[in-house]
Amino acid sequence: MAAQLGGKVSCTLGEVKNRADFIVYWGSNPADCHPRHLSRYTIAQKGRFLPRGRKDRTVVVVDVRETKTSNPADVFLQIRPGKDFEVLTTLRALVKGQPVNPQLVAETGVTVEQLQDLVDRMKRARFGVMFFGMGLTMTRGKHMNSMAILTLATEMNAFTKFVAMPMRGHGNVTGADVVMRWTTSYPFAINFSRGYPRYNPGEFSTVDLLVRGDVDAALVLGADPGATMPMPAINRLAGIPTIVLDPKVTHTSRLARVHITTATTGISAPGTSYRMDEVPLTLRPPLRSPYPTDEEVVRRIHQAVARKPDWLTAHSGTSPIAQA
Amino acid sequence: MTSITLTLKNTPNVPLETEVLTPDRLAGLAHDEIRALPVFLGKRQLRLDDLFDIEGERSDELQIFGATRQLKSIGRGMTRGRIAIHGHAGMHLGAGMRGGSIEVHGDAGDWLGAEMAGGLIQVHGNAGGQVGAAYRGSMSGMQNGTIVVDGSAGIEVGTRMRRGIIVIKGPARDFTGLEMKGGTIFLLSGAEQRVGAWMRRGTIVSMLPLQMLPTFAFACSYHPDFMRLLARYLSQLGIDIPHEPQDGPYDLYSGDASIPGKGEILVWRSGLSE
Repeated sequence: MAAQLGGKVSCTLGEVKNRADFIVYWGSNPADCHPRHLSRYTIAQKGRFLPRGRKDRTVVVVDVRETKTSNPADVFLQIRPGKDFEVLTTLRALVKGQPVNPQLVAETGVTVEQLQDLVDRMKRARFGVMFFGMGLTMTRGKHMNSMAILTLATEMNAFTKFVAMPMRGHGNVTGADVVMRWTTSYPFAINFSRGYPRYNPGEFSTVDLLVRGDVDAALVLGADPGATMPMPAINRLAGIPTIVLDPKVTHTSRLARVHITTATTGISAPGTSYRMDEVPLTLRPPLRSPYPTDEEVVRRIHQAVARKPDWLTAHSGTSPIAQA
Repeated sequence: MTSITLTLKNTPNVPLETEVLTPDRLAGLAHDEIRALPVFLGKRQLRLDDLFDIEGERSDELQIFGATRQLKSIGRGMTRGRIAIHGHAGMHLGAGMRGGSIEVHGDAGDWLGAEMAGGLIQVHGNAGGQVGAAYRGSMSGMQNGTIVVDGSAGIEVGTRMRRGIIVIKGPARDFTGLEMKGGTIFLLSGAEQRVGAWMRRGTIVSMLPLQMLPTFAFACSYHPDFMRLLARYLSQLGIDIPHEPQDGPYDLYSGDASIPGKGEILVWRSGLSE
């Protein structure tokens, strides 16, 4: 959504590995959460245009606390929680040489001098990349925080090459976004009730629908909202017919009406997974599973639904509210 | 010409999309034609009289009663007439409206008057987020008209608005006037934070001190002449704005420097001491 509001400059991780001499991690701790990321693509690797590896790269970490990622960083900016948007907006102003209010900047936990130094380093870089994690996207401001960092990266391209890339959470979140995008032209929060896709985050996004109680059934596919969503949403999931498709028993399947065990994609089911830079990777399963794949289950549900008579003809003359 | 009265029979358990409920659509229709109009309950298309008790015909004045919190898109794109909702209204109330007036004796949902281009919306309760805002992916929000909310409002009030007036009497939440391009927002009880973020032009007037972004600079303290004009207009709607010299000056903050924009935030000086 932020990408839609502000535009997005991206690249593949191969480019990051071979070219990025300036790397920012914002609200993200890949040393703990994406353990292979640092060694494969960024800090440890020697790239084609960065023959000295770590010595050729500048690493900046922006976070609210020290982490395993911030230890080896060249610059660590510790900002106060919930001040990401203010810092990013200040950076946007400094990039353009605009004045800012030093007292109000100091309230974010960093000084104008520190931010000016960061801007100078960013402008000197040949290829900059900003990775941002849930420390940015899931704190106060949410999509506006993502939009701020994406816009900053876009605007940095007036001076040098810069990209921004989200460090996604567990599961194939990127894959869901990408597939929804090329099938419906929207990434998420899509409503098909009128027979065509309609998109409105905040109105049709899952959490909001559940919290408001706007849905009367749910199909959960390869996700565990019962572990991550706010309590009112979980209560709603428990109150309505919820169907879960998952290889294992999750928090969600404990409160669901139906749990269908499926094969694990990548281990016992084939498929395509999207890497965080949206590069599709084919998965070749080494094992076989007695369970059906997600795809097969959804297809069989779809066939069964298609065999049922059309709702309107079947219920003509009855009051829909009374049944509800 | 009498009004058309619609009373919701039961509370729908999923949102009911009622964009047909506009004076433009109903004004020329006979009673039976109104009863047969389509509405969408979730994915199901139903007749209006499946859900409502309907009285009256051929009127551009609508009275809506009942547990109407789930009703979406009432008055969408209306150009004339009046709608009165005696209860809560759902999302997209008066979205894209170009004329006429809407009065809600209760709360309103998100996207109240989104991208409206004229007319008047009065909400006597609280409003949701994105009041008068631009839809996602759209370049401009409210183009003209007036929105008055007696209670509080949610996030992103007046996002990308271009013209018109929004008055929020209660407190507003984050990102009021986000990426604003014109128009005026009055905050009679202040707002939470990030007011005027990334604004290009336009005016935000607050009666209480605000938490400013670092990219806004204090310019001066003065009596804006235009406040008298706005106060005269708003007094017709029963809103009292301090505008005389003896009421005290306004502090002008200019920004947002990150754009860099020419927006202005006016904070009433006397509000600081209260």
